[in-house]
Amino acid sequence: MIETTFPRGTVLRIRPWLGIAAAATFVVASVMALLWAPTDAVQGDVYRILYVHVPLAWLSYLAFVIVFLASVGWLWSKRPVFDAIAVASAEIGVLFTGLFIVAGSIWAKPTWGVWWTWEPRLVTTSIMFVMYVGYLLLRSLSTDFSRRATRAAVFGIIAVIDVPIVHLSVLWANSLHQLPTVLRVSGGPALDSSMLLTLMVSLGAYTLVYAYFLSARISLELARQERMWTRT
Amino acid sequence: MKALARVALVAGRELRAERRQPDGIVAAVTFIAVLVLLESLVVGPAVARDADIAPALFWLALAFAAILATMRSFDRELEDDALEALVALPGGRDALFGGKVSALWLILAIVALIGGLLSLVLLDLPVSLPGHLLILVALGVIALPPVIVVDVVLTLRLRARAALVPILALPVLVPQLVAATRGATAAMSGDGVGALSWAGLLFAFAVVYGVLGLTIVPAAVE
Repeated sequence: MIETTFPRGTVLRIRPWLGIAAAATFVVASVMALLWAPTDAVQGDVYRILYVHVPLAWLSYLAFVIVFLASVGWLWSKRPVFDAIAVASAEIGVLFTGLFIVAGSIWAKPTWGVWWTWEPRLVTTSIMFVMYVGYLLLRSLSTDFSRRATRAAVFGIIAVIDVPIVHLSVLWANSLHQLPTVLRVSGGPALDSSMLLTLMVSLGAYTLVYAYFLSARISLELARQERMWTRT
Repeated sequence: MKALARVALVAGRELRAERRQPDGIVAAVTFIAVLVLLESLVVGPAVARDADIAPALFWLALAFAAILATMRSFDRELEDDALEALVALPGGRDALFGGKVSALWLILAIVALIGGLLSLVLLDLPVSLPGHLLILVALGVIALPPVIVVDVVLTLRLRARAALVPILALPVLVPQLVAATRGATAAMSGDGVGALSWAGLLFAFAVVYGVLGLTIVPAAVE
């Protein structure tokens, strides 16, 4: 039995505040990243792309984990809001993964000398990107709401296995990519404290952007579902 | 009826259907044979014999062959309207997944045997540790079908299904394909420990996706 009530009110109420918070934090993070954080002793100023690349990477992982949780939620309860969360998070995840590949490529050119190289982190990230494009394709080809949500949920659960593979690929294989700098098994972050603070503020800013996009897309999806149920 | 008996029933039925109308296995074997023949023509015999290249192409070909065989198996069910009856049986959804996967293991083992022998003979591949290679191929054959069956089930009755299944399945199969290729390379070049380590990873992935398939595929079959 599919529940057809739509909790859009809460989403609509918090969205403007999320937007304001995201914009303000984004400005602060940009100023800190471009002007306040010190220049890297080895890479110079080019390292500053870290403040875009790393938050985008972490948010991509988060987005796909949210797809997984929402997929479990849909299969468990058949509440359409879970399907709305899953599709919203998947779309943002694909966008962020695409941007994080592009940002990584821009960073790779001055540091590694190439735009692209066949190393584990880059390849597994691209595979994750293709996997979730496939998820969206699977959704777009299904017409019946319940079947689409169920098929997508099953694939959303299977695909999440790639997220730890992407993150740990640098540890499992000989990689050109930098090893984890913040979440390290041996000891604390290997980063200057002001760089770490800038990174954390950037992460906060991108998390708020993600939350804003998510609430906007969920709201749109719930409106679409509501229209569909009204018609039927 | 016990769950295992139901799985055996579906697998037996699947194999009987394949014996009577062996288009799935014929398509898969022909596909892998064509690829083995093309391989040495396209990249040249010296490169084709490389211990890194030959296993990579073999496992990619086997993955595509498995997709072909699985899609043909479900097409047969759809053509005969047999899927609904199967799903309606008590425990039918679990049995459908388990039975299809079990039957595909056997079909894929035959395809891998023929494709493997063709590769060994035509490319004159040197194999230092045949026993290790055999274990690895057996585990590779076990590791591929659960993912492929799940993806074929997800795309049943969809437009552009033939294109969608490889798009969904191949990225998910990357760890299995990497493990199978690296393991085969290790077995061919005499690295027994390496071959068995990769075989262990293949086994782990087979278990993970097997359990995942049995848990969530029933929800996807409608």
